[in-house]
Amino acid sequence: MQPRRILKQLQLGLALASAPAAQAHAHASEQSLVLLLPTDIYTGAGVAAVAATVVLLALLPAGAMARLYRPIPLTRLSLKALKPFTSLAAFALLALLVWAGLTGPRDPLSNPLPLFVWTVYWIGFITLQATLGDLWAYLNPWTGPFWLARKLFRPWSYARLPPELGHTLGIIAFLGFAYLLLADPAPSDPDRLARSVATYWLFTFALTLIYGHRWLQRAEGFGLMARAYARLAIFGRWKGKLHAGLPGWQVLHKRPFPLGPSLLIVILLATGSFDGLNETFWWLGLININPLEFPGRSAVVWQSTLGLLASNAALIAVMAVTIALGLRLIGARTGIAQGLRLFAPSILPIALGYHIAHYLPSFLVDGQYALVALSDPFLTGADYLGLGQFYVTTGFFNTTATVRVIFLSQAGAVVAGHILAVMLAHAIAVRDFGTTRGAALSQAPLAAFMIAYTLFGLWLLASPRF
Amino acid sequence: MTNQTRRTALKTLAAGTAAATLPLWARYTHAQSAAPIKIGFQQHVTGIGAAYGRWYGRTTQAAATLINETGGINGRPVEIVAEDDGTDPKRGAEVVEKFATQHNCDVGFGTLFSHVVIGSAPRAGELKLPYFVVSEGHHVASGMLNRYTLQPGITDVKSQVQAMAPYVHASLGKKVTMIFPDFAFGHDHRDYFSAAMEAQGGEILAKIAIPPTETSFTKYFPKIPRDTEVLYHVMVGPAVLTFVKELGEFFGPSAPAIFGFIDSLEAVDITSPGLEFLEGSYFWEGNPRYAQADQSEHDAFYRSRVGVDANGASVTDPTDVSTYAHMFGCWETLHVIKAGMEAANYQGPDDRGALIEAVEAMTDMPESREHPQGAKVFNGKTHQVFGHQYISRVEGGRLNVVHTTSIEDTLYPDEVDYTTQPL
Repeated sequence: MQPRRILKQLQLGLALASAPAAQAHAHASEQSLVLLLPTDIYTGAGVAAVAATVVLLALLPAGAMARLYRPIPLTRLSLKALKPFTSLAAFALLALLVWAGLTGPRDPLSNPLPLFVWTVYWIGFITLQATLGDLWAYLNPWTGPFWLARKLFRPWSYARLPPELGHTLGIIAFLGFAYLLLADPAPSDPDRLARSVATYWLFTFALTLIYGHRWLQRAEGFGLMARAYARLAIFGRWKGKLHAGLPGWQVLHKRPFPLGPSLLIVILLATGSFDGLNETFWWLGLININPLEFPGRSAVVWQSTLGLLASNAALIAVMAVTIALGLRLIGARTGIAQGLRLFAPSILPIALGYHIAHYLPSFLVDGQYALVALSDPFLTGADYLGLGQFYVTTGFFNTTATVRVIFLSQAGAVVAGHILAVMLAHAIAVRDFGTTRGAALSQAPLAAFMIAYTLFGLWLLASPRF
Repeated sequence: MTNQTRRTALKTLAAGTAAATLPLWARYTHAQSAAPIKIGFQQHVTGIGAAYGRWYGRTTQAAATLINETGGINGRPVEIVAEDDGTDPKRGAEVVEKFATQHNCDVGFGTLFSHVVIGSAPRAGELKLPYFVVSEGHHVASGMLNRYTLQPGITDVKSQVQAMAPYVHASLGKKVTMIFPDFAFGHDHRDYFSAAMEAQGGEILAKIAIPPTETSFTKYFPKIPRDTEVLYHVMVGPAVLTFVKELGEFFGPSAPAIFGFIDSLEAVDITSPGLEFLEGSYFWEGNPRYAQADQSEHDAFYRSRVGVDANGASVTDPTDVSTYAHMFGCWETLHVIKAGMEAANYQGPDDRGALIEAVEAMTDMPESREHPQGAKVFNGKTHQVFGHQYISRVEGGRLNVVHTTSIEDTLYPDEVDYTTQPL
């Protein structure tokens, strides 16, 4: 480095450090109205509702849970044959979006790619996948191209993916996505996002050609997440028929996940929780950042990465201890790994509740941008949806009445998620331990954890954030 | 960006290639090149500046559309290339670099947050990319930046704050207590205002610094001296409404005169429940949010083009309050860029130096469609514009202007002469 350049850098460093005219334009937002709401009362009511569910369950006859979770058969009709074609269509859409990311507008709220990835897919699709059913099986962008490759070329033999790897690679892939979401400096930059999506697609496709479907089953993170969430959905195939039932019926009736996907469920919740915690004044205080002059994501990449990993490690440890303690209470000989396999899916509703609660405000805003992009997808000046002069609004963050509705919807999602989780955990225990008493006892530590987590989730929503 | 403006921007692009077929664009054919003038817009799309970024974007698009409708710049259409900087200084510098090297922008424009300006300006200087900021920071006029960074469309915080002192002293009271967040933003207010107030012969009784992470303020209020005549506050962040509410509960009806900067409540509906206490209090406004009885035709025109109603909210949603006190800076800055490029007969990046000199040569900017906030005077040496400031009183749930400062009230001695730096 040239001496003059060093001097310049030094001057800049000093300038940034002293920044005599720094401003704070972090304006009063939705959260400032939330701080005026009686959130203590709402929080108390939410925690009480979850606690009351725990008590109620302990009093229910054992057969009640089985009846509650019995699904209703709907139809034998299967659309399975369509999968390669819907997948190819999904792949074509993805390719188009990547192209838009590389060549379209640089503004992430006008470019279709970031809007699709962060609003349509991550907020919208994941919610539908977890409530309606395994849509990913139809929209997976690799299965169709892989099917086509096998049709076009002579069958080849696949390399062996070491079974001892389990789902480790898939979990690492998901954590990579979580890093992009929470720690990367510019996750919405259309160009960077397009390159990331294209690279991951090509990498996965190449390895699927080498290792076959096993790669998609065990080493591909998005599929792993999608299949985990699909277990929670109302609709699912079972015994050759499409069934519908209370969220969680599939967890009870289908073979438990192996350890890898079970751990991923805990990781989903931990990641979702950190994505919320990292916006609180509490966290910013911990990493010594003034929330009123937040220096930008690029200044906290390491802190966010470590926070993400620490949250995951902590929640896995808490879950393992809680489950093990419950099993000990009833003298069950089930090991910790088996316990996690049985009970980790019970926290899926909590993860989904957080997901909905956390992203509701941004969905309300970015959904409008996505609508605008959908109305004019190829930037030709079209207005397919007839929006006319459409100004994106955030006015609903400005009035107490609308902020209250938004807050209560978020709190409702968190509380409903915990109630469903408590019920599901109890139903699993009744199934495996026979009696209501045994089930309640084995669930006591997990139920206590879920009540505490309700408090944590509602605190997150109500606490000062930037 | 709105559907409307996106479509308009697109038409702009399409027209660039089909100039001869469209009557509107026929006027561009006399230009040496019909290629658009590319203005890199460093926008806070994400990050803590996003609420401002949205309105800065809307104003910028409205100004660009107007410029294109009236013949563009030097007969060429204007294209806004918006890049998100994440309200992040490091990314800000990268965005400036992209403007210069990837997008072939003629200039960079539009940055609001000071730390992003301070992080980006050195790169703009190295790349010799004219960088027009809309930040109101004092960093331009203080001499911290460089010859390629200019602030010709919005006044700086130093002149805003000092211009408040004569009115506060003459009309509200001589004994002032200041409450401010304990970091650079609050410290600027503390230092500039206390100096200006003392120069008027007033007295600062107490300076109460509040930690930035504080969310309840009742324990600080007893520190306000009893003989305080004016309370000066500049709280910001999510706890600002709590601050106002608790202040109201503390004082009840016997409060001193209260003066604040609208930054605290920018884009907030002042009729929100809990803010009744603001009735009768005073605010600095960069540009009056509510259309006044003596509204100029220029302000009316500007509002209609940006899509803002007489209450400062979006025409399609009366609850969507704009960042009215600041966003005019984008409109005015784009018009300064246009005027500068026309004065310099700007043809392309080789003329960037000439553009800087042309803007440095500007002085008076009369109130007009191009300057709807009011008349301004540009100081070519310090690269900073000076203009009228407004003091408004909350009356019946709206802000009524009670005083307009002179431009002289906002002036201070030059702290730098950028024209001595090489181009």
